[in-house]
Amino acid sequence: MSREAYQVPSLGGGNAFSNDNMGAGSLDGPIVAYLCGDCNARVSLKRGDQIRCKECGHRVLYKERTKRMVQFEAR
Amino acid sequence: MAPAATDTNWSVNYDVLKREKLFRNPPEDKTAYPSLAASIKPHVDSFNALFESGGILEAGLKDIGTRTFLDEVTETAEQKQQRLAEGRRAPRRNKLHVRIKEVFLEKPAIPVTNKFTARNRNIYPSECRERHATYRGKLRAKIEYRVNNGDWAESVREMGQVPIMLRTNRCYLEKATPAELVQHKEESEELGGYFIVNGNEKLIRMLIVGRRNYPMAIVRNTFTNRGHAYTKFGIQIRSVRPDQTSQTNVLHYLNDGNVTFRFSWRKNEFIVPVVMILKALVETNDREIFEAIVGGSSSEGINNTFVTDRVELLLRTYKAYKLHSRSECRAFIGEKFKPVLGVPADISNEEAGTEFLRKVVLPHLGNQNVTETQDYDKFKMLMFMIRKLYAVVAGDCAPDNPDAVSNQEILLGGFLYGMLLKERLDEWVRSFAPILKDWSNRNHGARFTDPAFERDFVSKVVRRSNENIGGAMEYFLSTGNLVSPTGLDLQQTSGYTVMAEKINFYRFISHFRMIHRGSFFAQLKTTTVRKLLPESWGFLCPVHTPDGSPCGLLNHLAHKCLVATKDTDVSHIPKLLVQLGVRNESSVSLDESVSVQLDGRIVGYCSPKQARVVASTLRHWKVSGTNNVPLDLEIGYVPNSTGGQYPGIYMFSQAARMYREVKYLPLDKLDYVGPFEQPFMEIACLPSDLVQGLSTHIEFTPTNILSIVANMTPFSDYNQSPRNMYQCQMSKQTMGTPGTAIDYRTDNKLYRLQTGQTPIVRPPLYNAYGLDNFPNGTNAVVAIISYTGYDMDDAMIINKSSHERGFGYGTVYKTKVHSLDDKDSRRTKSKQAVQKLFGFAPGAEIRAEWRATLDEDGLPHIGAEIKEGSIVAAYHTVRYDASSDSYINVDGITQFVKYKDSEKAFVDSIRIMGSETGTEPAQALSVKYRIPRKPIIGDKFSSRHGQKGVCSQLWPAVDMPFSESGIQPDLIINPHAFPSRKPNTTPEHSKTNLTNTMPGMTIAQMIESMAGKAGSLHGHPQDCTPFQFSEEHTATDYFGEQLRRAGYNYYGNEPLYSGITGKEFAADIFIGVVHYQRLRHMVNDKFQVRTTGPVNNLTGQPVKGRAKGGGIRVGEMERDSLIAHGAAYILQDRLMNCSDSQRAWICRDCGSFLSTQVAVSSAGSSKARLAAKSSSGSAALGGNAGIVRCRRCAREAVYEDSRAVVWEDGEGKRFVGGDNVTVVAVPGVLRYLDVELAAMGIRMKFRVDN
Repeated sequence: MSREAYQVPSLGGGNAFSNDNMGAGSLDGPIVAYLCGDCNARVSLKRGDQIRCKECGHRVLYKERTKRMVQFEAR
Repeated sequence: MAPAATDTNWSVNYDVLKREKLFRNPPEDKTAYPSLAASIKPHVDSFNALFESGGILEAGLKDIGTRTFLDEVTETAEQKQQRLAEGRRAPRRNKLHVRIKEVFLEKPAIPVTNKFTARNRNIYPSECRERHATYRGKLRAKIEYRVNNGDWAESVREMGQVPIMLRTNRCYLEKATPAELVQHKEESEELGGYFIVNGNEKLIRMLIVGRRNYPMAIVRNTFTNRGHAYTKFGIQIRSVRPDQTSQTNVLHYLNDGNVTFRFSWRKNEFIVPVVMILKALVETNDREIFEAIVGGSSSEGINNTFVTDRVELLLRTYKAYKLHSRSECRAFIGEKFKPVLGVPADISNEEAGTEFLRKVVLPHLGNQNVTETQDYDKFKMLMFMIRKLYAVVAGDCAPDNPDAVSNQEILLGGFLYGMLLKERLDEWVRSFAPILKDWSNRNHGARFTDPAFERDFVSKVVRRSNENIGGAMEYFLSTGNLVSPTGLDLQQTSGYTVMAEKINFYRFISHFRMIHRGSFFAQLKTTTVRKLLPESWGFLCPVHTPDGSPCGLLNHLAHKCLVATKDTDVSHIPKLLVQLGVRNESSVSLDESVSVQLDGRIVGYCSPKQARVVASTLRHWKVSGTNNVPLDLEIGYVPNSTGGQYPGIYMFSQAARMYREVKYLPLDKLDYVGPFEQPFMEIACLPSDLVQGLSTHIEFTPTNILSIVANMTPFSDYNQSPRNMYQCQMSKQTMGTPGTAIDYRTDNKLYRLQTGQTPIVRPPLYNAYGLDNFPNGTNAVVAIISYTGYDMDDAMIINKSSHERGFGYGTVYKTKVHSLDDKDSRRTKSKQAVQKLFGFAPGAEIRAEWRATLDEDGLPHIGAEIKEGSIVAAYHTVRYDASSDSYINVDGITQFVKYKDSEKAFVDSIRIMGSETGTEPAQALSVKYRIPRKPIIGDKFSSRHGQKGVCSQLWPAVDMPFSESGIQPDLIINPHAFPSRKPNTTPEHSKTNLTNTMPGMTIAQMIESMAGKAGSLHGHPQDCTPFQFSEEHTATDYFGEQLRRAGYNYYGNEPLYSGITGKEFAADIFIGVVHYQRLRHMVNDKFQVRTTGPVNNLTGQPVKGRAKGGGIRVGEMERDSLIAHGAAYILQDRLMNCSDSQRAWICRDCGSFLSTQVAVSSAGSSKARLAAKSSSGSAALGGNAGIVRCRRCAREAVYEDSRAVVWEDGEGKRFVGGDNVTVVAVPGVLRYLDVELAAMGIRMKFRVDN
């Protein structure tokens, strides 16, 4: 993507994180990927899922680095 | 080709490439820093000693032995009478024998119920840290039981999960190489030695206890409280069983010369005449006892009438008991102690007496299957103790000092853990008794021989007992409280464990070298226990102890001091001693014979002259290794003296001893010395201390006496000693580098210095201990100049440009666990108990403002900026729906977890923690927040010499002074910081020695400054080991010459130019490079301001405490000074207006606050209200009613009273008068006091003027 083509995502919605499966209507909630603390596999979980890695059964999952643009005032 | 073995030799050099390579490729063979691993060895080894075969726990199980339970024979009174009449004996009670055969501790693993993990079921320590869980393994015990003489049956019981010490033989990382450690998310130099309990790193700190198996002469005035005739004299021996539990025996001297034997058993004290124990131990007679104490008829001891008189009396008074033979004595003792010993009810008195002797009397000489010889050993030892007791009383020998290291040893964490574990197991078996009884009662008096018993014993009896030993151990580790029915022969019940804080690495490593004297001594008013005694030379660091309340009680091991964790094999030593001429005959006369003891067992006696030869011969054999004398055997030779320590040879080979290395001169080889032998040896510190024909040993290097941290103070020999103490304190509070695995740590608070550097000036030990892996400070150009007015007192000025380049830039990481389940219901959690889930309530609206910090999963995104009150996580309530196997939200309300701290933070990482079973939805979140902390005004810094200061200004670089080469200082400190820190030095300006040109306390800082300057100019590290310079070879000349070679002033002074005027200063300024530490005390954590805020409910005064938004108290002394200044309005403002000032009605006539009351408006006419207004002057306070009257001064209204003057109270009663009331401003507590006093029937009267 060229510099010009890049669009600053707004905070509310429409960013990379909230694609199609996001929405107020779905009862199961969104599916979000986490990283396994042991094998670093991507683990997709939805609301109420059991916390464990699908690959290795590890019990600690990290939240992925955000794809949002994170911008602070440098002071 | 295999890669070359990792180099473990370190010098003072920077070794940049070597370290870089170690970082890139962590060694796959062994650690590069063996001395670091050695420093925590006592912890790991003591834990390892528990579970190995033939280990401590095995010995403990033997000591517990077989417990026997008897069943009840139910018999009514009539049945009994009938039986007695028939002359039948009571039916035999059945015996149930139970013993613990074996105890296994498994490595940590996920439970078998978890079917999801197939590959690796191990739980590694890092996972426990991340999940805030406990690193623990399953404990199982194999019990064996039989009824009467039947066959042993066995059952393996699960005893819960027991916390496991890291890098021990129950940990996966025991033999892990640095590469493997990094693989498992640990530091490459992870040392272990601690436990992980609920995600916290906990360790059992080492505790000082009395030296084992050595009879100490004690003079203690409290001994007289034991009863009348008791004197202050006693002989105390801490007798240690093979399982490391101890039993203290004391012999007391009575006024008349009698001796009694005292011991504690399950927290109760008992006293027995010593002769009874002597006669119970062996078949003996009075003559034998007499001769064993005094000596044979031909010996000199016979002439010691002091002793002969007393021994005679000792034997004569015992006649009253009329107990003669051994079996009579044992039966007598057994009868008395049967109820407390916990022996089965059916054993004979004599057997009970034997059991008593086994368990209580000098158990170190025979604890299991006691033989006749062992009983005789105990007998001989008691004889020796009586002799020593009489010697102390007579003044022939000095009492031993229990505060000296020579009479102390160390209770290691692992051993304490083992003691506790053994006791829990013992209590567990004991607890069967009431359950068995209950079982019998429930089954209508069932007997052990019933077939039902076999079926029920495990399922109904054992299962009902409390088998959760793991929980007890976890409780012990997390609280440090010792719950014990026996007290374990220890003096305290709490404070055994501490958190291993990883503020920086110095702090962390110090925890493992820390030795506590015991919290009992902390309350002692006398300071004798805290004194630094010469005995501790080389064992405890003289510098490294905190100042303040724990001073001298909390010591640290010298860095070369070792602690034995294993008993050495010395079974062949007695034979050697006999060959050296040690014989059996003895005498009370010390000129004739002195005792030779090995681990508290009397091997024999020899003459004092022989003793010297024996000791020196053994010493030579020990170092040379001939005759198999172990090198770590402690040969304490106490020579004969007049009124000194009781002479003899006392050898110690067992665990928990301290020992250290010195060089044995005759062989020029390494020898280990212990604290007991050291005071009587001739160990030279320096070659110049050697005395021809006297010195036998020499220190390898004088720095061996310092702890790891104390060794890191540069040139500490040039500092005044308290400064070195302060530095030891402050280096442990430095914002440094806790480690390299910060990403995988979840400490509550973690400090990190972003711009750490290796110090230019450092000792070689700095590298040997691998401290470059954990940088602790920054090298700074420091000018010592009074420049701005902001550098007064202990302030320092930071160059603003240095600040912007990152000088002292730090970060604080805080980890918070956001948990959804209630804390108290956590124990009984089941799947159905899930009541809340993270995330937005499904179907409900999601506001954009919520999404500012949260992602669609309801958790914050990484890097989110969090302020006070920001939303950190969303959750909603749910109900488990079994039909769809899902959680259903009903209310559609999203709730939030909020961030409560006042400081801005960023989300660094988020961990979602699952359960061990792998079946639960997210219930807890571990969020790590990053708080940037650049240095600001008010932050604390320090050099490495106890010179702390507060940053008082960030000074613009343009206004900083500069040198001829254009160098600007990073820091400015005031020259007054030096001379004020000194006792008394004459300011001689001799140009030969820096110590004279620069009078001051922390001379070493100036030497460091010069050394650092020279080092940076030449690009080489500087060795700052203390004691390397002397009067002839001065540090000034050494570093001055280096400076001169670099083209600088010899003494480190330089002409400096004012940054403001550009003019050269009249004086040359001392400027150099000093390693500076940033301390963790920062204003952001400390500032406390308030104008208004929360107040106390009762008093209306401001609350205290920074966390609650309270104020700082203007106390008595502050008040005094304000009075002295005449600052009355400030006083008024502080004590009244900003506190609990309130306006209150008072009656002028009766002077009471309490009798005023609001009159109900309806009754009074408008006129009356007007009158009240005019009289009080401030009607505003009257509230809605408007008028306030004094009930006390009013009288009840009668018919004649005009309506204008009548007023009415809330009940409708009508009154007249009491209108002389007014409003005054008083402190709220004054009215409160009035109320309290009134409740006690005391009336306060206030006289109101004007």
